Amino acid sequence: MERPIIKPIGTPVEELDTPALVVDMDALEENIRQVHSSFEGTETKIRPYVETHRCPAIAHKQLAAAGTNGGVSVASVGEAEAFAQSGISDILIVNEVVGAQKIARLCALARQAKVTVAVDSAANAASLSEAAQSAGVTLNALVDINTGQERGGVAPGQPALALARILSSSDSLNFSGLMSLDGDDLGEDADALIEKSCHRIQQTLETRETLEGNGISVETVCVSAQQPHLASEVSGVTEVMSGAYALMDVRHSALLPELEPAAKVLAAVTSLPEPGTAILDTGRKAMGDDYGFPIIAGREELEVVSMSAEHGKLQWQDGADVSLSLGDRIWFTPMDIGACVNVYDYIQAVRGGKLEAVLDISARGLYR
Amino acid sequence: MENYRPLIGTDIEELDTPCLLIDMDLLDRNFGLIADTYKDTECKMRAHIKNLKTPILAHMQIRAGGTVGGVCAAKVSEAEAMVEGGIDDILIPNQVVTPEKITRLCTLARQARMMVAADNTDNLQALSNTASEMGVSVGVVIEVDTQMERAGIRATEQGVVLAKVADSLPGIEFKGVMSHQTLPGQPDRETRFIEGPRFIQKTLDVKDAIEAEGIPVEVVSAGESWTYDICPTIPGVTEVEGGTYALMSHAYAYMEDFEFAGKILGTVTSTPRPGVAIGDTGSRCLASPSGVLPELDGIEGVRVDSLGASHAVLKSDGDMPLQIGDKFQLISGQQDIMVNRWDQFIGVRDGKVEAVWDITARGCHN
Repeated sequence: MERPIIKPIGTPVEELDTPALVVDMDALEENIRQVHSSFEGTETKIRPYVETHRCPAIAHKQLAAAGTNGGVSVASVGEAEAFAQSGISDILIVNEVVGAQKIARLCALARQAKVTVAVDSAANAASLSEAAQSAGVTLNALVDINTGQERGGVAPGQPALALARILSSSDSLNFSGLMSLDGDDLGEDADALIEKSCHRIQQTLETRETLEGNGISVETVCVSAQQPHLASEVSGVTEVMSGAYALMDVRHSALLPELEPAAKVLAAVTSLPEPGTAILDTGRKAMGDDYGFPIIAGREELEVVSMSAEHGKLQWQDGADVSLSLGDRIWFTPMDIGACVNVYDYIQAVRGGKLEAVLDISARGLYR
Repeated sequence: MENYRPLIGTDIEELDTPCLLIDMDLLDRNFGLIADTYKDTECKMRAHIKNLKTPILAHMQIRAGGTVGGVCAAKVSEAEAMVEGGIDDILIPNQVVTPEKITRLCTLARQARMMVAADNTDNLQALSNTASEMGVSVGVVIEVDTQMERAGIRATEQGVVLAKVADSLPGIEFKGVMSHQTLPGQPDRETRFIEGPRFIQKTLDVKDAIEAEGIPVEVVSAGESWTYDICPTIPGVTEVEGGTYALMSHAYAYMEDFEFAGKILGTVTSTPRPGVAIGDTGSRCLASPSGVLPELDGIEGVRVDSLGASHAVLKSDGDMPLQIGDKFQLISGQQDIMVNRWDQFIGVRDGKVEAVWDITARGCHN
């Protein structure tokens, strides 16, 4: 487990032990306010994807804001258990849940919260139905539609209809609707991604019509959207799932330029081996750099030239106005906040430059 | 934090996934190879515990033999976790600079033999001040940059200056020199045996220059897993900082003497299209810095095509042999970063759970 020195509340942020994952509460609250306000008074609601931050305190902030239906979404049963334990009563698991042990946990959880799960096969539907029936609970099921992101999911149209029919007629399962998610790859330009996102939502809505034309009522249509606020106006979408908007990161900033990076990693200089070079105490392990190196926002003169497991290396040009000493602090903005949060046990919350709270990342590492 | 603890004796097929496995027979072989290699050599292994982050695994290598009797730890907090786990000889081959971390280091020196790497006079002074105030002694090695262009002195003369300062200051004891080396790609044995000694020679040059000034150099720490068989052939090298060798990674597949003992067990959750299976193992649990993908272990014709945050896309050119609910095993491309994403190791032998170990130094970045 992480062993930072936890400083007294009120400590100036630059005095925190490093590396530290730090969230600016004003920026976080403003990001939530901006995105959620688009869902105020609309039929479409936002369902925060809390896998991105794994932190119940932040999830509760999101649910306390406007524009939700009181529910969150997660990636695993373990995450669902952690958020249910924190008092959240409506949880969607966006992946297929397979295996007797996991399905048993899902059924147990259904006694503590409204649980909805993604399904993409008749075999899985049968296992869920059987387990729910013997546990005496009802599980809500969404048909997971593959609209081109090439992971799990059935094809839109007839294959989705066939699975919806099976779910509708399965004991102890409640067919609640359709779900379709973006892929994780943001390697294209923002416009191409948004167009892809719109096309995917359109295919999902067409499938909804197919189902309703066949007498199957579709209560929920849950989609992810690269720009969540734009999907709030799409008639027929009941829920928009989104994760990165709360804490933000470099990867999502082109899609959501109006939002502030609220979470950053504080690092310290540990070596100045030659002119124009600094080595930091923060490397790949402490950044979670699966999607690339972090940047140093606001200090364009400093370049993150490489990272190894335990070290970051900065360089600057001759003549640049840089004067660093051992122990000096540097702020990294993570490339991908979801990967970064998952290596920390705590987020240190600051407001006005002072430590306000230390938030547990309770769902860190809950992959099962 | 994970709280999954399968019963000892559970069949591997019954494990909930994803989970992080150690094949105990293969681990024993890797530890045994180190014990054999360094049995009669002056040079010994000082296992780098940043790869394992678990005290019992440090004790197992020390008991197996071939070591200096201690470990390396990348950070002060990692060293604390090891001291708590009963290890009493630790080298931190990194710089410890902030006042609080120096205090933590000096406090550890009351409970264990501590050494730390330095590359800066101010840092030596700060270490000396705190150690003397606290009445402890901290060993110091001078870090030499031999080719990585990371921390460490760049010129031999700098090493002599630092050694003199370290030798003269109270509270710290000058011990010697250290350096890291890396080789890109999958080098062959010949390349390793040319490049390894060439890089390490720079460290020995610093040692010689310091000794020429009448300051004895007790410790010359160098290398890592890929130089494990090179270092004992270089007179003067006293210890090796190997880490990856214990569990291995496919990035080190060229180190054919070691077995792939660490694996991630996953389950197929969907077979959505012909030739495709989706697994419950994503980049969050596998770590894929720079897009490095894991490799499937022992399933012919199937490969990891891509990773999402919480799933893997497995593809096969012909029929997909994996069905929903089937288990598969993956070998990571970045072993130590992967271990840092887990709270537990599950040790298995003959297909059954033998041990569940807490990874107590997980997340010890401080």
